[in-house]
Amino acid sequence: MNAVYDIRDLTVDLYTRSAAVRVVDGVSLSVAAGECLAIVGESGSGKTVMSFAPIGLMPEGVSVGLSGGAQLAGADLIGGDEAALARLRGREVAVIFQDPMTALNPARRIGSQIAEVCTLHLGLKGAAAEARALELMRLVGISDPEARLRQYPHELSGGLCQRVVIAMAIAAEPKLLIADEPTTALDVTVQAQILDLLRDLRARMGMAMILITHDIGVVANAADRVAVMYAGRLAEVGPVDQVLRAPTHPYTRALIDAIPRPEDPVGSPFRGLPGMPPQLAGPIGGCAFAPRCPRATPGCATLRPPMRAVAGTPGWQAACHHLTLAVIPKGAAA
Amino acid sequence: MTTPVLEVRNLVTHFRSVERGKTIKAVDGVSLHLNAGEIVGLIGESGCGKSTLSRSIVGLATPNSGQIVLDGTDLSTLRGSALRRTRSAIQYVFQDPYSSLNNRQTIGEALEEALVIAGLPAERRGARTTELLDHVGLPAAIAPRYGRELSGGQRQRVAIARALAMNPRVLIADEPVSALDLSVRAQVMNLFFDLSRNLGVACLLVAHDLALVRQAASRNYVMYLGKIVEEGASTQLYGDPRHPYSRALLASAPSPDPVAERARPRVPLTGELPSPTNPPSGCRFRTRCPVAQAACTATLPPPVEVATGHRAACLFEGA
Repeated sequence: MNAVYDIRDLTVDLYTRSAAVRVVDGVSLSVAAGECLAIVGESGSGKTVMSFAPIGLMPEGVSVGLSGGAQLAGADLIGGDEAALARLRGREVAVIFQDPMTALNPARRIGSQIAEVCTLHLGLKGAAAEARALELMRLVGISDPEARLRQYPHELSGGLCQRVVIAMAIAAEPKLLIADEPTTALDVTVQAQILDLLRDLRARMGMAMILITHDIGVVANAADRVAVMYAGRLAEVGPVDQVLRAPTHPYTRALIDAIPRPEDPVGSPFRGLPGMPPQLAGPIGGCAFAPRCPRATPGCATLRPPMRAVAGTPGWQAACHHLTLAVIPKGAAA
Repeated sequence: MTTPVLEVRNLVTHFRSVERGKTIKAVDGVSLHLNAGEIVGLIGESGCGKSTLSRSIVGLATPNSGQIVLDGTDLSTLRGSALRRTRSAIQYVFQDPYSSLNNRQTIGEALEEALVIAGLPAERRGARTTELLDHVGLPAAIAPRYGRELSGGQRQRVAIARALAMNPRVLIADEPVSALDLSVRAQVMNLFFDLSRNLGVACLLVAHDLALVRQAASRNYVMYLGKIVEEGASTQLYGDPRHPYSRALLASAPSPDPVAERARPRVPLTGELPSPTNPPSGCRFRTRCPVAQAACTATLPPPVEVATGHRAACLFEGA
């Protein structure tokens, strides 16, 4: 596989005044050109930090310890200087955030915001930048783009604003697009349109995409592969058809079982996970999921399970000591 | 037939638009009812007026006309303290438990404050606090802790406990679990089942997660641009949606099974939600409707009963 983006044994520590927190703990992943990798996990699972730390986007006010390797199109990201990273951002790798309304400047017209990106990354000036802005607006399916150029973000719906944000992200034809919950703030009817647009752009531009989400329906719709994170570690990674339909890790199973199904009787209790997500303050010795896991054995609490290949499918891996027990039947972990 | 605990009749809530002389018709003639011990779903896209409707019911927005009848009392006939006392039987649970609790208050203080408002004498507040925490499945030992020490699911349960302090007959829950992780949503949703079954509280569940509402609610209302377009039992509405908008809405939710998701028929809704300042004439959905015809521009379709308790406001119901 020809990986555009490749991270190896990435570990991210955040040092606050009172504590050190390991938010990402030894994660290895890669994304190929034209491929969409979904990263799934609950809040605090490290999915956002893992995706953004290598490209130098970190929360402010904390110091960060990064170790491991990350390469984008052959260039090393970790250990390089900030100026080199800044040159990559927007050109080689672009980002779409969750809320399009806060990603745009409310006081400036749409057209000038897109043109500014073209000036910054493509060196286009004046009329050339505006022409490229118009072209980008057509590319992301905004109807009547000439009129929209003159409008302000508040005059546009959430779905249209997200299209504008996407237009800005793809202006320099990046090799990798990181989309952080791109449809969470949108309605289901609009969500489908945005996911279709992202799929179409990915195919046309041969762009790799990392899709951060907590919505399994979005994963099933948009992703080729999925990585499930728990407590800063990878629990399972593999093709969506395998991981979502026949998960091998008990956490993945429990997560999928927690989604209400059409065959659940009306008024029947909801399935959830027992216990609470882990506190990352202390080091986790064994398997992070062991305290909530229905199949945990004493060894799970002390020995950290390595990522192991699931037999039969290339690229399918899970970190569970009980992996030999193979596919967990539906409902077993509920 | 049982008398509903809450009845909303022909409610209209309009706002003045920032554009001079225009009004936003957020809620435009909505009628609904809740029976005791019943969970009722209210679904629709953002901007359809579902939040304004919920806020109008609890008095956070002022309706222009229409009636809110609680246990046979029309709230619009009441003023001042009588209104406040009566309306305390309707309580609201907000979406985000991180902003609805005061970080500088302990859980015990937050609940006690509600009990003071409820007029409970000081010596009984401690026992009642324990009882309220017990209702929402939290240990009494949590009372001296601060909100910031709690997880999202626990905070939402405290917010619900605080709403229960007023002994409500009706709970309006606006997206109560959308800020919570999937694994803890179940705990909060199952709590709503307990409250409705054991305490007889009627819940209006406002949410956009259709799979979740289907399982939780026994009846549902679908709202579009300020109007109810369809109502029915969950088995009716989700099994056999009759209004074209309900059909489009239900068909657009992605399936978590990738194989089913690829096979899912696409019912694309064309265009955007029209502006509520100037809604389309006749049927409000006609501009995006796949079966709209000339007749739809002329008249507002009345609700048609397609089965017992199942009504759809479409001229071509079932078309």
